[in-house]
Amino acid sequence: MIAFLRPDGWDFPLFVHVLGAMALFGGVGAIFLLSLAGQRMPEQAVFARRTAFVTLLAVVWPAYVVMRVGAQWIFDKEDLDPDMPTWISTGIVVGDGGALVLIALTVLGWLALRRKPSVARYFAGLAGVYLVALVVAWWAMTAKPGA
Amino acid sequence: MDKYEWLLFLHVSGAFLLIGGIVVAWTFGIAAVRRELPSEIALLMRLTGAAAAAIGIGMVTTLVFGLWLVSYLDFYKWTDGWILAALITWLIAGPLGGAGGKRDKETRQFAERLAAEGDTPSAELQARVRDPIALALNLGSSLLALAILVLMIWKPGAGG
Repeated sequence: MIAFLRPDGWDFPLFVHVLGAMALFGGVGAIFLLSLAGQRMPEQAVFARRTAFVTLLAVVWPAYVVMRVGAQWIFDKEDLDPDMPTWISTGIVVGDGGALVLIALTVLGWLALRRKPSVARYFAGLAGVYLVALVVAWWAMTAKPGA
Repeated sequence: MDKYEWLLFLHVSGAFLLIGGIVVAWTFGIAAVRRELPSEIALLMRLTGAAAAAIGIGMVTTLVFGLWLVSYLDFYKWTDGWILAALITWLIAGPLGGAGGKRDKETRQFAERLAAEGDTPSAELQARVRDPIALALNLGSSLLALAILVLMIWKPGAGG
């Protein structure tokens, strides 16, 4: 019900958060597709790995920052501490845990590109897992279990 | 989860597929402009096809579950200005994106043909990848999709 009762002042922070989350989902989807293409087409593997790594740096990381800044902005306005509902906890776990996942993806992507091409499969796997985690996060944010 | 929460989740999932798919399509489109080898451009444009599928599914899902939500909730009406504006924007964005996608598909087929015939850079392919009409159509539909998101969040004219 919070969507119906939301004060006007929350609209812009919510827009920033949602737009960042959607761009993050798209960016992670893009690197996942490129990783799969690289696995299935060995002759294009280097190109696919390079494009995935550039996409990670140029699209995924900026989208993550926008999503996280928007999340903190609206969280501060909602004043939900100390009784944190489950849906916020889920969002925080996926949101903050996402930074660790992106650091891991950055390291794996660099290794796959410069040192050890075989780690590209872990890059693809981790990107796929993160995509699923993002779906769980937007389910929690919309259905708001425990609200 | 009650019915409202399911409808909202599926509606928002459609929006994630729609905007996420647009981000994927632009990512691959911009990457393709920076490449010269037809095989690399063909790969990127093939992957754009997956994004186009997500965009299509997202557009249908947002519409179906959005309309369902309006009929389920008493305090929103079909005639609310922001809902009508979103529907009209949706109706314009779809054909625009479809027309841009059709031109992109022709470019992909051309790139695939060049890749199969020796994979040497082609000035014509470079021109097609930078096609200003496709760019305008895709940019127009993307901005309209963004406008729908703005309408969904601000809900101008809705109470509360």
